[in-house]
Amino acid sequence: MCLAMILLAPGVGAQQPQAGDADSAIRAYRAYLDAHPESVEARSNLGAALARAGRYEEAIAEYDQALSKSPENPALLLNLGLAYYKTGRPAEAAAQFERAASLAPQFKDQVTLLLASCYNSLGRYKQAIALLSPFEAPKSADQAFDYLYGTALIGDGQDAAGAAVIDRILSRGDSAEARLLRSTLKMRANDHDGAQADVEKAIALNERLPGAHARLGELLLGVGDAERARTAFGQELALDPDQFTANLNMGVLAKQDQEYAAARHYFERALKTRPNDPGVRYQLANVDLATGNAEQARKALEALIGESPDFAEAHASLATVYYRLGRSADGDRERAIAQKLIDQRDAAVAGGKPR
Amino acid sequence: MRRWPIAGVWWFVAGVWWLAAAGDGPEPRRPHFTDIASKSNFAYRTDNNFTGRKYFPQTMCGGVAAFDYDNDGRMDLFFTNGAKLPEMEKSDPRFYNCLLHNRGDGTFEDVTARAGVLGEDLGFSFGVAAGDYDNDGFEDLFVCNAGRNVLYHNNGNGTFTNVTERSGIGGKPKDVISVAAAWFDYDNDGKLDLIVSNYTEWTPRTDKICASNGREYYCHPKVYTNVAHRLYHNLGNGRFEDVTEASGFGKELGKGMGIAIADFNGDGYMDVFVANDTVRNFLFINQKNGTFKESGYEWGVAFDESGNAGSSMGADAKDYDNDGWPDIFYNNLKGQIWGLFHNIGGKYMSYASGVSRVSRLSVRSSGWSNGFVDYNNDGWKDLYSANGEIDNMGEISRQPDTMFENVDGKEFRDVSSQLGADFSHAGFQRGSAFVDLNNDGFMDLVVTSLDEKPRILMNSADNGNHWLLVETIGRRSNRDGVGAVLKLTTGSGRTLYNHVTTSDGFMSSSDKRVHFGLGTEKAIASLEIRWPSGIVQTLKKVRADRILTVTEPAP
Repeated sequence: MCLAMILLAPGVGAQQPQAGDADSAIRAYRAYLDAHPESVEARSNLGAALARAGRYEEAIAEYDQALSKSPENPALLLNLGLAYYKTGRPAEAAAQFERAASLAPQFKDQVTLLLASCYNSLGRYKQAIALLSPFEAPKSADQAFDYLYGTALIGDGQDAAGAAVIDRILSRGDSAEARLLRSTLKMRANDHDGAQADVEKAIALNERLPGAHARLGELLLGVGDAERARTAFGQELALDPDQFTANLNMGVLAKQDQEYAAARHYFERALKTRPNDPGVRYQLANVDLATGNAEQARKALEALIGESPDFAEAHASLATVYYRLGRSADGDRERAIAQKLIDQRDAAVAGGKPR
Repeated sequence: MRRWPIAGVWWFVAGVWWLAAAGDGPEPRRPHFTDIASKSNFAYRTDNNFTGRKYFPQTMCGGVAAFDYDNDGRMDLFFTNGAKLPEMEKSDPRFYNCLLHNRGDGTFEDVTARAGVLGEDLGFSFGVAAGDYDNDGFEDLFVCNAGRNVLYHNNGNGTFTNVTERSGIGGKPKDVISVAAAWFDYDNDGKLDLIVSNYTEWTPRTDKICASNGREYYCHPKVYTNVAHRLYHNLGNGRFEDVTEASGFGKELGKGMGIAIADFNGDGYMDVFVANDTVRNFLFINQKNGTFKESGYEWGVAFDESGNAGSSMGADAKDYDNDGWPDIFYNNLKGQIWGLFHNIGGKYMSYASGVSRVSRLSVRSSGWSNGFVDYNNDGWKDLYSANGEIDNMGEISRQPDTMFENVDGKEFRDVSSQLGADFSHAGFQRGSAFVDLNNDGFMDLVVTSLDEKPRILMNSADNGNHWLLVETIGRRSNRDGVGAVLKLTTGSGRTLYNHVTTSDGFMSSSDKRVHFGLGTEKAIASLEIRWPSGIVQTLKKVRADRILTVTEPAP
């Protein structure tokens, strides 16, 4: 997969400890820093050693401290971005990568795929496309590039261009990534059985393919098989506890079961990956309402509507919250807005899919 | 307990059944259901005229009403049927509606032609509602159609007269299709009014064709317009006035399916819940002045808990936890969550699908008609649903019905597979009625399925639990007693609640007698009836295991 490949890319390793195992390196750097607390290089290397040991939160703390002394250090920013990336915080990672690339154009090559991966995780497909499209010709034989580019194109609704990328991947042989991408297209075309067959094949080819179990879970949910969907989402979260789709859907399933504490846990985890995601914030507000925190729900929904004024369901929930709080006039107003938005949306539906 | 003389094979099967059940340890003894339809000679099959072309209303066919049309003490059955498409005519007897007279021996006689309710002049029929609108002691019928609706007056001699024109109840906006109806007395004037659930505007000419990958499918409802449901006020003397606009019903446009009638806020006036398909559900709270306020948002029943308007189908309102407040149950399609809403003291509804486990139990089924029914007479109302996919495109489009058994009013468990092979029949089930056909105190089921004969599912009634059926006769209130609220207190002090209504599920009308399962208790300390007139009547030390007729005291 692209992530593993990128982490082993030459250049990034230059920032890592030169020798010895990670623990002894960490001890050595800490000892050195006790005597020389101002050393940016030692702190950066300590961060890298911690990251190599999988202790990303500690690494982030060291990088942050180093950056406070050397804020324009692109290597530090790159490594901090990688640590964020590994902890499932693509928004923070993207911010570091963007800054590193702007300060050091020579990092652009290393950063491109990472940044695109972050954008895809965040649902910012247009940005991913803008970043990747200039490289389509030179990287047309690059499996990781194709997968990220195809994901972005399909995520952006450019199905024909996405299909061309899938064909390109498959021309090199069967591929779990291509199968996963193709399942998205089939799902969109209401070919549920085809989508499920593709994603199951993707899992057979690579059971650790990020997003594959989550996709299977979505497909199973679509046919009402909540139990198997739950299992699939659980498998995705076992691979990546921060996977957005799996957390969101596990939250929704827990909410349906009125297991609100669990629902909140999953939604908050999803928000970690996509901070401010309106859909997740809406779900959290509904958890507040369901658990009797109408005032908290009101604040959350008002803030959400402030940023997403066309979010019909949020207006509808806010109407109920207002009624529950005895604010009938406000409830009537929100109800009218919700109805207008729903009517507009319904009017735009051409009836293009079976129920 | 009275049983029909068909029990030879039936009881043998039941014996085997109980041996199996006994091996399961602490599981309660459960009745099961046996289909007796094949013992009767009638031609009716639910026929939506599916010939390959998918006309939008074909998915909704096969309404059923259980009512005693000849007052012989046995509940009879009426079924609605489709029509030739695109002509929209019942041009062949196979599309006729059907009235079956209960002979009392486990068989039914087709008396449709004699009774004058073939409906040969009607279009595609959907729902049916039974009620004595003129208080003459004989149950009348209202049949919903694409095309004009029809009101049949029961002449009291085994025949009906189509009185639609002179009643003033036939009018509705052009091309609107009506799918369900419910009788209730919204102004407590002693006369039954009628609420009609309308779905959309549709004719064969305006039918849309939807297809994907070269296969036609039934179009998503959103391609069709929303319409208002209609309220007809009973003026007396067989006349009705359309008060849709004046009452407030005209302001709310939906895609109506099932209707549930209950006094949700306990103010003595009946309210109306309408399940809407892909549109938010409506809860019309009676303002006690001839108007209603749509309060689905306030009560929290407009959407599911995630703010989604699902494909709400059938609806029922009864008190599943015996706390004295009617709750709401609606079903919807596979992948969605059936809605169980718990009434919080008559102030609002709390979503209860999750805590009750209905969310987990329901997600694989596409439900149509449904309702609360205490099938095992343990005093807790269970959840029944007639299931089947909208379309015939998937491998599991045919579905079996489900029965979710109520566990102490707190949660439900799926016992469908334990209710016998006839109950588990997989089909495209649509209409259903709860009815005690053999007056043994256990509720039987009548279920229609597309392109099949209906199933008449007799409850084996063999778990030893006790019961009471109450037939209410209003005097100042409407004669059926629709809207009367009954509170039963057993000898041990357990309180059970129910109310008089024939409206439940989708397209269907159930036994109007009020059913109480009593579990192992045989003693009834008291039965309190709050009539729509406001009169409260209390009966003490009522004997169980019988059909009790209660007449409203004179004012």
